[in-house]
Amino acid sequence: MHDILRRAEPLTSPVPASPRGFGRLTLDVRQNLPPWKQAVFVGSSLILGLAISVAILALAGIPPLTLASELAGVLTAENLRGVLIQAAPLILVGLGASVAFRIGFWNLGIEGQMIFGGIFAAAISIYDIGPPATRLILMGMAAALGGALWVLLVVFLKLRFRVNEIIATLLLNYVAMYFLFHLLYGAWQDAKTAFPQSTPFRPFERLTDIGYGVNSGLLIAIAGVLAAGWLIHLSRIGFYTRFISANPRMAKVVGVPVQTATIWIIAISGACSGLAGFVNVASQEGRLTQSYANGYVFSGVLIAFLSRNDPIVVAIVAFLIAVLFITGQTLQVFYQIPFTMVQMIEAIIVMAVASSEFLIRHRIRWIR
Amino acid sequence: MNSALQLAGIRKSFDGALALDGASFESRSGEVHALLGENGAGKSSLMNVAAGLYAPDAGSISINGAPISLSGPASARSHGIGMVHQHFKLVRPFTVAENVLLANPQPHFASGLRDIRDAIKKQVDALKFSIDPDRRIDSMTVAEQQQAEIVKVLVGGARILILDEPTAVLTDAEAVGLLEIVQRLARSGTAVVLVTHKLQDVKRYADVVTIMRGGRTVATLDPRQSTAEELTELTVGQTSALPERTPHQGGETRLNVGALTYTRADGRTMLNNTSFFVRAGEIYGIAGVSGNGQAELAEALIGAIEPSLGEIWVDGAGDIGHAGQARRREAAIAAIPADRYAYALAGSLPIQDNLAVAQIRSGRYGSVFRLDRAAMRRDAIAAVKDYDVQGVRSVKQKASLLSGGNAQKLVIAREFSLEPEVVVAHSPSRGLDARACAAVHQRLIAARERGAAIVLISEDLDEILSLSDRIGVMTRGAIVAEFERPADRQAIGRAMVDHA
Repeated sequence: MHDILRRAEPLTSPVPASPRGFGRLTLDVRQNLPPWKQAVFVGSSLILGLAISVAILALAGIPPLTLASELAGVLTAENLRGVLIQAAPLILVGLGASVAFRIGFWNLGIEGQMIFGGIFAAAISIYDIGPPATRLILMGMAAALGGALWVLLVVFLKLRFRVNEIIATLLLNYVAMYFLFHLLYGAWQDAKTAFPQSTPFRPFERLTDIGYGVNSGLLIAIAGVLAAGWLIHLSRIGFYTRFISANPRMAKVVGVPVQTATIWIIAISGACSGLAGFVNVASQEGRLTQSYANGYVFSGVLIAFLSRNDPIVVAIVAFLIAVLFITGQTLQVFYQIPFTMVQMIEAIIVMAVASSEFLIRHRIRWIR
Repeated sequence: MNSALQLAGIRKSFDGALALDGASFESRSGEVHALLGENGAGKSSLMNVAAGLYAPDAGSISINGAPISLSGPASARSHGIGMVHQHFKLVRPFTVAENVLLANPQPHFASGLRDIRDAIKKQVDALKFSIDPDRRIDSMTVAEQQQAEIVKVLVGGARILILDEPTAVLTDAEAVGLLEIVQRLARSGTAVVLVTHKLQDVKRYADVVTIMRGGRTVATLDPRQSTAEELTELTVGQTSALPERTPHQGGETRLNVGALTYTRADGRTMLNNTSFFVRAGEIYGIAGVSGNGQAELAEALIGAIEPSLGEIWVDGAGDIGHAGQARRREAAIAAIPADRYAYALAGSLPIQDNLAVAQIRSGRYGSVFRLDRAAMRRDAIAAVKDYDVQGVRSVKQKASLLSGGNAQKLVIAREFSLEPEVVVAHSPSRGLDARACAAVHQRLIAARERGAAIVLISEDLDEILSLSDRIGVMTRGAIVAEFERPADRQAIGRAMVDHA
């Protein structure tokens, strides 16, 4: 029975830590760990990551106490509004990344998909398609379509020519970005201001206010979470995704429609990112700008990773990342720390949680 | 003769599951000592303790009578214990010499490599092996890779050589060759431990046999003084026999493979006009020396690869060689592949999911929108009971936690739940113990009685002979001869080598 175990998990032969003297560390593979223990491991790693981040900020000249009061400052109405507005696109890109990661498709083209989501939505506005009453819905659908089409290009390349999707999605971000610039400096440039932006959307083309200055983008994100939760946990295609990621060759032989399921899942992933682009252009900006997708690849991957690709957890993590963003903005303004510091904190937290994964899979013992 | 390796009262548990329960074992220089037992009896675990891979929870290890403690594989090596694992530990893009060097580090790379090559040549000559130190592992056959493993261990100065199921991957002739070499090696003073579950090998080549059952060593005796029945009874607890055969009724053709050709990406033609047919209620055995296209034939039949030319015609579904998955499933082909974890199971997923996956599409477990997990669970519990799958604490546990035989039962449970018209079984009992093997054979015979057409591809000639109604011999990607039951073993053996 243990032969099988070793075959299934190749990295598990015990590693001697010190050859002689003090005994040695051994690694055993854990077969099962109760969920609460897993939560303890992840939680303590997260706390460790945060502690390191606080230490680094302290070195950068921000005393921990000030930091605490700044974090508490998020709870003001103004900041909370910012967090909720920021959470919507983060949730959507988190869903986009996690859905794709579930079948082992490394979608790093979230920004490109957001850009095309924004472009497709803006096209509906610019070419004045459909009656005003349904204009927003049409824009949303167009955005989802735009994001899906942009990633399906890569799916085609992967399935047909075995092109590596990591490289393809990542590099297509630049293609999308320059196509956006091409539009903004050309055909779609706002004639009035001569800035590289599109003409502002009409009022009925903007996401409506649902109270406290928070727009309906948040509702789209929440609907996305529920839909993705259903897709992954309850639907047939969600069941298939588990086999496709665990053993694609076996999945094919036992009759899982690997290709069809892959296409659907990745299209959904792209659609989520496209919707995130739509939420960004149709809310705060109210027009197509150059930078509404900047930095979302990393955030999406981070959220997917921290949430272990579970849609419900995605919502919670995205909210926390939004808090980090808004706090970061404040720190930037008041303490002149660069925004890269916020990204560094994100990276530290990723590494901390990644290391907890190892502890969940292995038990380390000290043998004399 | 003095005791070379002594293990006493070894206990080892993995996450609460007891794998070794006070096992004791003693091997002497100059002897081939067989370690016999069913799958999951603890043979490999015990030897992994000796090789320093597992730290025992309790018990003692002695070399030449002196107690030692092992801190890892390197420390076992320094005590002269070398193990050749069932799954080779070789770096595939490296040459033999580089692999040996990697396991036996030398102070200077260039001169070290030279010394190592000389040492390899000496061992190769002494053992009458055929490998070249400068060949890359990935260009070698399995038998040659095994030779490389043995040389690697011996160059490291091993006086105690542990071979874990060495003949499982070899053909009959290769196995005989290896075991004779192993015997010679023992005569020259090495202590050889042969982990196996093949009775014939034990009877023919071992000087002493220790039998393991349920993590304990139950007996140590002289295999020449005991009968096969006695040994079987000690290993399994009870002997099981194949059921009687009713003669074949001669139904209609269910499966027709016509001029099947498959050329690999590297240009090698693995299937070359393979043609045969199988009737309802018939077991068609395909015998042959391994590597003659059997693996590719099985993969084409179960839909893992697409043939370059030719047809796979199934009654009621037409040619499915190039068909999509929906049509393949209509053809109701059950697939029992040789490599379970490559084509039949997702080890990291629950038993219940592995059982349900083949029937998700039929709607048995809920609609596209809502899965019926309660039904999955109910069916899984029933299947585990019906097919006597052992070691299942919960149907939600990972499939990879099952031992080989029980994993195979799981595959069969799933595939036979589809009431298949055609069954493709490739080495269905490879790596299984006698009881699991008998259970698998009974299932195949039951499917035959029900009227299924069964293709049995196996390198184990005994398995082919005892089960098949007709036998085709496969050589270089084609069926070169056919035999009716009862077939003459000698004639089949000749056909296997004549055309090679």
